Amino acid sequence: MSDTSQTLHKSSSKFQRAVTDPVNIAMLLLLAVLAYLVIWPFVQLVIETLTWGQGDRRISRDAIPGEFTWFHWLQATSGPLSSKMLYGPLMNTLITGIAATILALVAGGVLAWCVVRSDMPGKRWLQPILTLPYIIPSFAIALAWEAVFRSPKVGGQPGVYEAFLGTAPPEWLSYGAFPISVTLAIHYFPFAYLLVAGALATIDSQMEEGALISGAGRLMTLRRITFPVVAPAFVAALILTFGKTIGQFALPFLLGAPTQFHTVATMIYANLTLGLDSLAFVLAIVLITMSLVSIWLSNRFVGNKSRRFETISGKGFRSRVIALGAWRWPVFVAVALFAFTVGILPLILLGVQSVMLIDGFYGLENLTWHFWVGRSNPEIAFGEPGVVHNNIILGATWNTLKLAFISAIIASVIGLVIAYITVRRAHNPLARALDQIAFIPFLFPTIAFGAMYLTLFAEPVGPIPALYGTFSLLVLISVVSRLPYSVKTGVTAITQIGQELEEAAELAGASWLQRFRRIIMPLASSGVLSGMMVSFVGVMRELSLIILLITPSTRVLMTVGFGYAEEGLAQLSNALVLIVAVLTIIGELILMWIGKGKMARLREKQS
Amino acid sequence: MAQIYVRNLTKRYGNATALNNVSLEIDAGEFLVLLGPSGCGKTTLLRCLAGLETPDEGEIVMGDTVVFSAEKKIMVPPGKRNLGMVFQSYALWPHMTVRDNVKFGLDVLKTPKPVAEERLDAVLGDVGLGQLDQRYPSELSGGQQQRVALARLLATQPPIFLMDEPLSNLDARLRMDMRVELKRFQSNAAATTVYVTHDQTEAMTMSTRVVVMKDGEIQQISPPDQLYRQPQNTFVADFVGMPRINLVAAQADGKSPSAFTNGDIHVDVGWAPGEADIVIGARPEDITVSKTEAPKAQDYEITAVLPNGPETILQLTRGKTTMIARVGHDTDYVEKQMVWAHFDAAALNVYAAQSGQLIDRENGT
Repeated sequence: MSDTSQTLHKSSSKFQRAVTDPVNIAMLLLLAVLAYLVIWPFVQLVIETLTWGQGDRRISRDAIPGEFTWFHWLQATSGPLSSKMLYGPLMNTLITGIAATILALVAGGVLAWCVVRSDMPGKRWLQPILTLPYIIPSFAIALAWEAVFRSPKVGGQPGVYEAFLGTAPPEWLSYGAFPISVTLAIHYFPFAYLLVAGALATIDSQMEEGALISGAGRLMTLRRITFPVVAPAFVAALILTFGKTIGQFALPFLLGAPTQFHTVATMIYANLTLGLDSLAFVLAIVLITMSLVSIWLSNRFVGNKSRRFETISGKGFRSRVIALGAWRWPVFVAVALFAFTVGILPLILLGVQSVMLIDGFYGLENLTWHFWVGRSNPEIAFGEPGVVHNNIILGATWNTLKLAFISAIIASVIGLVIAYITVRRAHNPLARALDQIAFIPFLFPTIAFGAMYLTLFAEPVGPIPALYGTFSLLVLISVVSRLPYSVKTGVTAITQIGQELEEAAELAGASWLQRFRRIIMPLASSGVLSGMMVSFVGVMRELSLIILLITPSTRVLMTVGFGYAEEGLAQLSNALVLIVAVLTIIGELILMWIGKGKMARLREKQS
Repeated sequence: MAQIYVRNLTKRYGNATALNNVSLEIDAGEFLVLLGPSGCGKTTLLRCLAGLETPDEGEIVMGDTVVFSAEKKIMVPPGKRNLGMVFQSYALWPHMTVRDNVKFGLDVLKTPKPVAEERLDAVLGDVGLGQLDQRYPSELSGGQQQRVALARLLATQPPIFLMDEPLSNLDARLRMDMRVELKRFQSNAAATTVYVTHDQTEAMTMSTRVVVMKDGEIQQISPPDQLYRQPQNTFVADFVGMPRINLVAAQADGKSPSAFTNGDIHVDVGWAPGEADIVIGARPEDITVSKTEAPKAQDYEITAVLPNGPETILQLTRGKTTMIARVGHDTDYVEKQMVWAHFDAAALNVYAAQSGQLIDRENGT
C-alpha cells in the first residue's frame, strides 16, 4: 500500500521535473508546431479531395459544399477527363522519369568511375564543372534547350538550330518526352554521380587484389567483386533520382506545355490555374504516393544490402587507381567536352540570348544591352525595362535575397535545436518522433507541398491568420522544406560535441539557454554555417515549391523569370535565370571556401 | 569544507543496476578515492554526486543541504550544488581561450569584474599557466590541458572537488608529477574531494580513504595501508596489490586447528580460524625465500625470475601450486633452482572459502 503511494509520488516528481526542463518544453512546442506544419497540411489536402468545394457547383448539380464525396477521385480515375488528367500525365511522368534516371545513372556512373578509379588527368577542375548542372536551377537548362531547339511552329522565334541549319528541328526534339528526359538527366546526373562516386570510393582495392590473386581475371573481378559491392548504392541512387525527377515542375512545363505534353507535376499547376483545385489536389496526392513508394524502396535497398556490404574498415584502406594507358587523353577529352556541354554551354547560351535584341536572329548588329540596362521602350518587350531599371526585377531580387537569408537562418537554428534534442535525448520516444516529423518534408514533391500550403493557409484557422499572399508564408514553407537537411547538418555537428563539454558548463551553474548559446552554438557554428549556405542557395533557386503561393507583391527572381518565359519574353527570363545561376554558383564557391578554410581550422581545434 | 552523506543510493539503467543500495559518509576535507574495475559503478556514483545522473532511490546530503532525495522528491541541479569537477577528457571548451575557460564559472556566478580578474590571475599563476592564458586548448600539451581543467575547478573555490580519472590521459611520468600537484591544491583548498580511478597506485598514494567497488556495491572502505594489509574479501585482496596476492585454497589438515594444506603445500596460519575450508592470502613479500633449509619452510622450484628494478619477483612451484614471492634486487636466483620458502604467519589473511570474507583473528577460536 505504502509502496504504491511512494512510486506514485516519485513519478509525479519526475513529471514535474520533466515539464520544467527547457529542452522538454522546446521538444513539445516543436512537436506541436511541426505536426501542424507538416502532418496537418497533408491531412487537410486529403480532406479537401474528399469534400465538395464552392467551385464544384459549376461542375456538378449534386455538389453541397463541405459534404463528403468521392466525386474528385472518381472524376480523376474514371471520368471522361481521366486519361487527359491522370493517366496521360502519369504515363508521361513515368516515361520521362525512367528515361531521365537511366540516362543520368549511366552518365553519372561512367563519370564517377573515371574520376574515382581511373588516372584520368584534370580531375580536380573537371569535378566542380560536372556538378554545375545540379547547382544551377533546372529551369536554366530547359531555357538553354529551348534557345537551341525552339521551333516557330509552336510559336516564338527560331532557335539556334534553325538559324544555323536552316530547317526547323523536328517537334520531338523541341518539345515533349525526349527533351524533358534529356534535360532532366542533365540536371540530375551529378546527383547520381555523387552517390556512385561515394560508393566507389569505399571500395578497398585490396578486395579486388584479393580476387586477382586467387586467379580471377579483370572482367571477372569487376563482375563478381566490384559491381556487387557498388550495386546497392547504385540501385538506391536509381530510385532516389527517379523520386526527384517526378517532382520537377518548371522544366517539364517549359518543354512540354507548349505541345500539351503534361506530367503529373505540370498538371497540378495547370488544374490550379483552371480553378480545378480539388483535381489538382488529387494529383498532388498521387505524386506524393509515387515519391513515398520510391523512397521506401530505396531505403529498403540501402537498409538490407549496404549493411551487409559494409566496406569501410578504417585500417589498411587504400584505393588503387586504374591506369588508362593510351586511353588517358581521349577519355579526358571526352569527359571535358561533356562537362563543357552540360555545365558551361547552357550558361553561355543564356547569356547570349539575353543580349539579342530580336531572339532567333543571329548577327552582330542584333546585339544589345537593352535587356540588362535599357529603360522602358514600348517597341521592345511590351515596354519592359532592362534588368537594372526594372522595378519588378529589382523588387524580386530583394525578395529573393531576403527570403533565402531569413529562411536559411531560421531553418538552421531550428534544425540545430531539433538535432540537439534528437542526439541528447536519443532514448525519448518523443524526441525520435520529432526527428521523424522534421524529415517528412523530404518525402513531399515540392509542388505538392506548395499545394498543401495553399489549402492550409487560404483561410484563417483559429489564431492563425490566412497567410496566403504574404511573405511570411513563403518563409514558412521554405523553412519547413529545408528542415530535413538542416536537422541532418545539426545532428552531424552536435554528435561531434562531447557531452562532457556541456556537463562542465552545467556544473558551473549555466542554464540550458546559456549552455546552448555559449557552448553548443559556437562549437556547432562551422557545420551549421555551411548548412545555412546550402539552404540559402537551395531557397534561392527554388521555384516549384513556391510557384503556387506567389502573388504580385511577393515575387522572387525565379517566379518572375518563369513568368517572362510563359509570356515569351525569352531575353528577360534568360537574364533572370542567369542571375540566379550565377548567384547560386557564387554561393557554392563560398561554401567550398568555408569548407576548405574555416571549417577545417575549427575542426582541428575541436579535436 | 563540507561533509557528504550518501544513503541507500540505487541507480538503474533499464534492467542493469549500476549502483545497488550504496551508503557512504565522506568527512570534511577528506580525499576519498573510488576504486574499482571498469563498470563497477564508481563513475556513476560520482556523477550522482555531481547531479549529472538522477538516482532512482536514496538520498545525498552535502553539508546541511539535502541535494537529492527520492523520497522527498528533491533534486538540486548540478550548478546549485556548489562543487567543481574535473572530467576524464578535461571537457575544455575548444572555442574559448584558457582564460575564458577558467572565467566561465565566474561569469555564470556574476562575479564582479575586478574580483574575477584578480582571481583568474591568481589561479592561472598557481597552476603555472600565467603565460599561456590567451592560448586555445588545442594549442596546449596534455599536461597543460589538465592544468586548465584544474584551474577551472579552483576558480570558483567550491568546497567540494569531484575528479573523474583526471590523470588517465597523461603519460606515466607526468602522472607522477600531477599527483603531487593535485594533492597540494586539494590540501591548500581543504576541499572535500571524491576522486575516481582504476589505478590503484593513484588510490594508494593520494587518498585518506579508499572505497573499493564492484558490480555497483561497496566492497571495502579503508585507509590505504589497511586496504593493503587487511583486504576484507578475496576480491579486494586480489584487486589491490601489484604483483598480485597469492590466494591459496586450503583445507584443515586435521593435525592442528591452525594447520592447512592444499596437498602440495602446508601452512600454519598461527591461529585457529574455526573453518575447515579457507583461502589463504599471502602477499608476495610475506613469503621468505632462502637457499638453505629453514624451520617450517618447504622446498620449491623457481620457475621464473623477473627482475624489476628495486625488487625481483620469483615464481615458485611446488607440485601443481605456484606462488609469487618478492625478494630484494640484489639476488642471484636462477630458474630451476631449488629453494626453501616459508610464510610470515602474522601477515597472512585468512578468508572463508564459502563467502570469500576475511575471518577476523579476534573471532577465531
